[in-house]
Amino acid sequence: MQDIKRLIEDSREMSRRSFFSIAGWGAFTVGSAIALWESLGPPPVGKNGVDGSGGFLNPNVLYEDPAAFKAGLPTDYALGSTTVLTDKRVVINRDPNGFYAISLICTHLGCTPRYFSDVTSDLVTQGISGIRDPDTRQVANKANPILPGFKCPCHGSRYFRDAINFFGPAPRPMDRVSVELGRDGRLLIDRSVVVDRNFRLKA
Amino acid sequence: MKVLGAAWDELYSVMAQMVQGLFRHGLPLTDKIAARTALTNFFLHIHPVRVRRSWIRMSYTLCLGGLSFFLFIVLTVTGLYLMFYYVPSVEHAYQDMYDLKFVVTFGGVIRNMHRWAAHAMVITVWLHVARVFYTGAYKKPREFNWAIGTTLLLITLLLSFTGYLLPWDQLSIWAITVGTNMARYAPIAGPYTRYLMLGGKVVGANALLRFYVAHVVGLPLVAFLLMVVHFWRVRKDGFSGGL
Repeated sequence: MQDIKRLIEDSREMSRRSFFSIAGWGAFTVGSAIALWESLGPPPVGKNGVDGSGGFLNPNVLYEDPAAFKAGLPTDYALGSTTVLTDKRVVINRDPNGFYAISLICTHLGCTPRYFSDVTSDLVTQGISGIRDPDTRQVANKANPILPGFKCPCHGSRYFRDAINFFGPAPRPMDRVSVELGRDGRLLIDRSVVVDRNFRLKA
Repeated sequence: MKVLGAAWDELYSVMAQMVQGLFRHGLPLTDKIAARTALTNFFLHIHPVRVRRSWIRMSYTLCLGGLSFFLFIVLTVTGLYLMFYYVPSVEHAYQDMYDLKFVVTFGGVIRNMHRWAAHAMVITVWLHVARVFYTGAYKKPREFNWAIGTTLLLITLLLSFTGYLLPWDQLSIWAITVGTNMARYAPIAGPYTRYLMLGGKVVGANALLRFYVAHVVGLPLVAFLLMVVHFWRVRKDGFSGGL
């Protein structure tokens, strides 16, 4: 504070040298600030906190796999089936009351869980109780130890077949994403649109 | 004949001057010459002219700072060698890493030197920080150097992290997926930080290139500058050992 006071007092009688010094350093600071702004850009807003409106280091175009894709005809999927589209990181479940799609991204730290026809019996054997799917009301216990689902290879999170987490560090169920019927009669999946857990595509 | 002799003398004195300009002190045969050499030589002036034996007790420093710097040099040289064969693109990265292991002459030696030195450097830097902490060597007047040192620890870890992606195998890709998702958990700036790190939403071509640039240029440059300051402060603040 005192230094600033002194600087102001000194500046009342500014020498030519200190004027140019202050002007030069001021221009350098402003220029650096502009360069930093141009590099990092304004903090972008929008979906997932990014919309490609930032600075140089913030890509405006991504050459990544598009979020939306076609996944064949509804008749390709048997009733009660679970289909893992590994490259797309999407699971399509067909139940009696319709289709729904799961974004196969672990909600812990983003790895790809893998489908197993049994994700519960080893836990039941270890004596872990209370393994219950709140949506389907299915329970894994001594009498009925086997339920299908997903296991994440990174830190061991486990999910039921309907993407609800029940074991490991995952904090919430995996996202359900939009399934529509395209004009050509094929399933249209958009991974960028997260839908409610009760969503079903009637078919 | 006389003219030739004079020309020879002239040439000799020019040559002698050039040699003396490069080798200023001669061989350090006496303590006095050795001290003068240490004082006026850029690379040697890192050594104090006088050192008490108690300052550099091996059982006190365990040579950890010096080992870390030695490993940094090993990593710089072997890293430079690896750059001749490694292309940081999705098509080539994994193949090039494999070629280095199995096709390039001594490629496996260079790659493993880089790999093991990297693991070792993380360990020695951690132990160095621990040694400084447990001996209380971070206290006044060395707080500034402690701050530089902790930043160097952070850069060492970031170098290790960025290098992890470059083999471009499954382990790399998922490790960096996990690591950058940790960054995403940070409040407010989290998702944007991850987007900037990866240059996208998934670990892809942009992420590989960004990690490569950070690994071979950005981070080593900052590390080098901070090391220069770090060593200079060691000299200025004095050794903490041996009181």
